[in-house]
Amino acid sequence: MLVRISTLIVKELTQFRRDWLLALFILLAPALQLLLLAQAIERGIHEQPLAVLDLDRSRLSRQLVLSLDNTRELRLRFYAGSMDQVRSLLDGGQVRLAVVIPAGFARSPQQIQVIADGTNTVAAAITMSAVSGVVNRFASDLAAGYGLVMPELIDFRTDTRFNPTMNFRDFSIPAQLGFITYQVTLAMASLGLARERELGTLEQLMVTPLHRFELALGKGIPAMAVGALNFAVMWLISLALFRMPMRGSPLLLAALTLLFITAEVNWGLLISAISRTQQQAILFVFIQAMVDIALSGFIVQVRNMPALLQALSRFVPLQHYLVIIRSIMLKGAGWEELGPQATALAALSLAAALLALRTVARRVE
Amino acid sequence: MMSLRRTAAIVRKEMLHISRDPRHLFLVTLSPAFLLFLLSYIFSFEVHQLSLAVLDLDRSPLSRRYLASLTADRELRLTHAVDRYEAILPLLVDGQADGALIIPPGFAEAIQRGQPAQIQAVVDGTDPFAASQALAALSSRSGMFVAGTAGQPVRSKPIEVRSQVWYNAGLESLLSMVPGLLAIVLVMPTLALALALTREKESGTLEGLMVTPISGPEYIAGKLLAYLGTGLISTILASLVAVLWFRVPFRGSFPLYLLLAGIYFLACMGVTVLIGSFVRSQQTAMFAVLLIFIVPSFFLAGLINPVSTESLPSLLTSYALPTTHFVQISRILFLKGLGLAAVARPALILAGMGPGALAISLCLFRKKVA
Repeated sequence: MLVRISTLIVKELTQFRRDWLLALFILLAPALQLLLLAQAIERGIHEQPLAVLDLDRSRLSRQLVLSLDNTRELRLRFYAGSMDQVRSLLDGGQVRLAVVIPAGFARSPQQIQVIADGTNTVAAAITMSAVSGVVNRFASDLAAGYGLVMPELIDFRTDTRFNPTMNFRDFSIPAQLGFITYQVTLAMASLGLARERELGTLEQLMVTPLHRFELALGKGIPAMAVGALNFAVMWLISLALFRMPMRGSPLLLAALTLLFITAEVNWGLLISAISRTQQQAILFVFIQAMVDIALSGFIVQVRNMPALLQALSRFVPLQHYLVIIRSIMLKGAGWEELGPQATALAALSLAAALLALRTVARRVE
Repeated sequence: MMSLRRTAAIVRKEMLHISRDPRHLFLVTLSPAFLLFLLSYIFSFEVHQLSLAVLDLDRSPLSRRYLASLTADRELRLTHAVDRYEAILPLLVDGQADGALIIPPGFAEAIQRGQPAQIQAVVDGTDPFAASQALAALSSRSGMFVAGTAGQPVRSKPIEVRSQVWYNAGLESLLSMVPGLLAIVLVMPTLALALALTREKESGTLEGLMVTPISGPEYIAGKLLAYLGTGLISTILASLVAVLWFRVPFRGSFPLYLLLAGIYFLACMGVTVLIGSFVRSQQTAMFAVLLIFIVPSFFLAGLINPVSTESLPSLLTSYALPTTHFVQISRILFLKGLGLAAVARPALILAGMGPGALAISLCLFRKKVA
């Protein structure tokens, strides 16, 4: 039996030797993608272009403009001359936000106007709250200057755990790791059987002494190996290059990652077993990948989804795995905390495996 | 010399393929509308609710009133009441709470005497967005509570910030996400083309075609036109979902939108034809489309976070992605309702990409034949 499985594995791997572009995509692209995405989402939303229409042109208004420019979120790009120019800057997308300082601001600093571009709501909300923060501080500095100091009655001591500098990269890299491993594994596993069926070689395999269980193993093991290899390389990159913390046990992470990869391979085999052509399998994988990215809690927190989608996300292995990898790397979580996620992964994996084996059996006979 | 008749024959052949297989028909016409429908629900997050654990060591009426005031706008929820400091950390580790609030003994007394009362907030910084949101919400709600309680009238701020949001007055994320997501789901027609190009190679029917008088450019043009056509149909269907189901206003000119969608498809498909000349299997084609178009589009195309200008490699990648430009076009035409002049820059970049990539692949193709 072992011999038969390993022959099948060797057969699967020769495919890479023949299709060098596929090998390149599978082995190099994931690491490249990690490098690129990690760089892009390193810093969150910073340096958004700002236009100022200063109708006051006083020392005080210039001070306010300067403090707006001094925030991380905003960068002063244009001094607009008129409201028309403000409109054309916002229309053309050259600035994301405009601040209008009315005439007479220095005599009685009472009001300023903020106009945000609502086409990207995330950027709009962040830049608007940055302006409010600046203006509040500016106002209280002014009040302090007039001797109108308001005592701070609540003295907040804050303590940020696990990611004290609130570095966005520490948050996103573990998710990228899980996600890239996910796509490579699923894409590898989902086409194996469909390809044989489309090319007509599945019948040939069926007349060999291969049992369907051995066939599944022979198709699944190379996909698992590719997934595990990719994960290991990217994990090392994230520690060495991006200085990610690793607070939990590497052994636990490895074990649960393997469990996750197995679940995705089984799911991929199921897709492969129910599709008649590769094109169908690819269609499934694409729709699945988009839905999984969305439901995984990678971009939108699961808690913020409608109840039905929250329930649906429990069936997405990636969702459980993202909790696992973030908790182990950033929070140092151990087996006790991650029991529910691990159980869910195991159950999803088993269910997909059983379904896949049954489908293969039905399809072949 | 390119023959229109032979190109039309390829288009007809491809249409026959598409109409015969219901799943293929779904892929090329309905899948963008379907994905848009699904993804829009997930991406239109409005309220982030944050859950807090509370350790109230004061247990006074005032501390209870303070806690009740925190949850007034439902952004914060007090989900766990703990009685020991040690109970807080496990809740943060397994993610049951986003943060914790510790009210020290003597809180009420201090406030009543008008002295500062210390409150400790512990937040889980794993997700920096949620953490900073929690801290901001805590400090603003506490400020309001103190201003109300200490008997002082709520001091009017010396400077009022009057905010207006243009193009999306209610700052509704659905209105911003749906036009952006349209650009991403419209990658599906490109996937269909990539598969159609590689399938003929894999199944060996390409050789059959090559012995007919049909030339390489005619073959490519035929496939391109077929999927451009179905792509435009799928654009109309997906836009209908956006306008009729999600009630996103369409303020620009729809014929202009279709024209620009065509240019967007040409850019994506041109790149695909270029890649396709190296790719031999459908599996590789899938990887190429997944890794080159889909995944980076979610993160680098400005869909959620604006394109980052701080790191050069990611800036270059963002500009090289056709999706980035179409996200802009889509939002401008849906929400800003401006004309061609406002979208000229992204439109020109896209218009250059498609023919550019096609020209390169044509040169490569000539070499291969010769």
